[in-house]
Amino acid sequence: MRRHRLIAAALLALVGAAAAGDPRLGAVDPAAARYTYAVGAFAPEYTPPAPGSYSLPPINTVTDHPLLDADGRSTTLFAVTHGRLAVVAFVYTTCIEATGCPLSLAVLDRVDRAVAADAELGRRATLVTISFDPERDTPGRMAVVRSFHAPRSDWRFTTTRSEEDLRPLLADFDQPVAKLRFDDGTWTGLFRHVLKVFLLDGRGRVRNVYSVGLLDSALVLNDLRTLLLESDTR
Amino acid sequence: MGAALAALLLSPVRVRGDETCMSPYMPKITGQEDYVYVLTLGIDGVGDGSDKLVTIGGNPADPARYGKVISTVSVGGRHEAHHGGFGEDRRHLWAGGLDDSMIWVFDVAGDPAHPKLVRTIDSFAKESGGVIGPHTFFALPGRMLITGLSNDKERGGRTGLVEYNNDGKFIQTLWLPEHAEYGYDARVQPRLNRMLTSSFTGWNNYMTEFGKVVADPEAMKHFGSTMVVWDFHARKPIQTLAVPGAPLEIRWALQPRHNYAFTTTALTSKIWLVEQQDDGAFKATAVADIADPKQTPLPVDVSLSADDRFLFVDTFMDGSCRVYDVSDPHHPRLVHTQRIGSQVNMVSETWDGKRVYFTSSLLSNWDKKGKDGEQFLKAYGWDGKRLTPLFAVDFLKEGLGRPHIMLFGQERFYKNQIYAGDAARGAGLR
Repeated sequence: MRRHRLIAAALLALVGAAAAGDPRLGAVDPAAARYTYAVGAFAPEYTPPAPGSYSLPPINTVTDHPLLDADGRSTTLFAVTHGRLAVVAFVYTTCIEATGCPLSLAVLDRVDRAVAADAELGRRATLVTISFDPERDTPGRMAVVRSFHAPRSDWRFTTTRSEEDLRPLLADFDQPVAKLRFDDGTWTGLFRHVLKVFLLDGRGRVRNVYSVGLLDSALVLNDLRTLLLESDTR
Repeated sequence: MGAALAALLLSPVRVRGDETCMSPYMPKITGQEDYVYVLTLGIDGVGDGSDKLVTIGGNPADPARYGKVISTVSVGGRHEAHHGGFGEDRRHLWAGGLDDSMIWVFDVAGDPAHPKLVRTIDSFAKESGGVIGPHTFFALPGRMLITGLSNDKERGGRTGLVEYNNDGKFIQTLWLPEHAEYGYDARVQPRLNRMLTSSFTGWNNYMTEFGKVVADPEAMKHFGSTMVVWDFHARKPIQTLAVPGAPLEIRWALQPRHNYAFTTTALTSKIWLVEQQDDGAFKATAVADIADPKQTPLPVDVSLSADDRFLFVDTFMDGSCRVYDVSDPHHPRLVHTQRIGSQVNMVSETWDGKRVYFTSSLLSNWDKKGKDGEQFLKAYGWDGKRLTPLFAVDFLKEGLGRPHIMLFGQERFYKNQIYAGDAARGAGLR
């Protein structure tokens, strides 16, 4: 828990440095800049169903897309996943919504530790965080965020080279993102987006989508193990 | 008994749509709504006679459009249009026809004052393996959950739950379990990983002239009397609850630690509490009568306030809304009764609980006739004690039809803007 607080503090410092722009943001009601899904925060109070006791029918299929890794090298989504199971999350690193990108990073952090501790999962699964803010989330910034988390599994922090590369990627995943603007049309520096994390199988098929109310590390891990069992029985 | 049965029959087709009961996986409109979207069933000789989505102005700050018809978009023909719901990000509004199982998807985000029909799905029965009568549209991450009311084999009450992805592609069908085969509503409590489904009746009954169903003892046997508790993530039924009398709309409590839901039974006029027990199982208990059940008030739609305090219950036969204080969910207390019109069906409450909207229609063949067959949308203010009229739209005079489900829209939500007023009252983001 202390580790997560330290990561959160580091991310906040990063946000503060990046968001030192329009002073009007300092007067904005936080409720106007975030989505409300339910009363209170989502806190799972259940034990997820056992791996293999249920199925995850394909929802969609995605194609390959160009990415930039945290070292600035060109790569692609499928070059990163390499036919493995993949947990793919779209974020921007200056997000201030508690139920948004910080939640996504926190959950993937837990999944990262669990995957690293499981030899089979460690070998057959990868985690991919992709920024949808290529302007500010440079490979260098993604490397800084990666250093906060110090991944133990194969957790990649990536961005895209340009809006032109980003748009078809977001469309393929059905991940809408919009810039939140002041009423004079200037950008607040924030994005409006429904938090989504995607579970891909080795064939690029989306087998689950997690958002607020469903994004729970225990659930994601059991889904990964369900897909492992599925491929083992084939 | 005949009247009771008749009332019973009337109950099935209300929609839900109030903000407090919408999918917890979908962002809410928490402030003043600008638009009320009303799915409307066409009437031969009224306007173009087609089913349509009607957009009504809902913001008093825009007096030129407040309480007025802003736009309509017809789907062409009459399909017993009834229920609908937004997708996970509110960009699209899905709606269905109970008669021929047509499904329409409207783009709302592009111009929220003028929704556009962008997709029609005419293969629901075929793709689902025989489910018909798409009823509840419940947004899930990456997909839409649709409950059926019937099946295409014998058109009775046996039915299932069907999932589509956001692009309108079929994913899977889950048939309701043996001895609890009927369907109606589906609602998820994410915190508990539990889904509840309720039960109504099949196409043979809901598409038949009301009087004929009432007069047919065999038809009257075919109404639901169960609710099913599901392991939501596994999509597996784990418990069947006896809830006699056609349990319809399901409303999970919203507050933390409130591990319960309410429903009402159309035929027996009772409020039921479905509550999780210490062992994790659920128990269904009738906790209150609604008006005088012997008079068959026919409770149709319900709405639970976001603070879990007030339960609004519409009774079709007397055209009234009864408001119960359910602070103690085991002992609902009637605190207010308001007659809305000659008939009333849907009730939709805003997230802030300050406004409540009502529409009048049940089903094309079950609505009242003659002067009692008025068709309206009416808006009321709610101050915690009484309902106060705000505006009304006569859907017959306007040439629209029979209004059913209501859903809310807001300019700022879709324009992704922070207005000056937000900064003026804000505590600051940093």
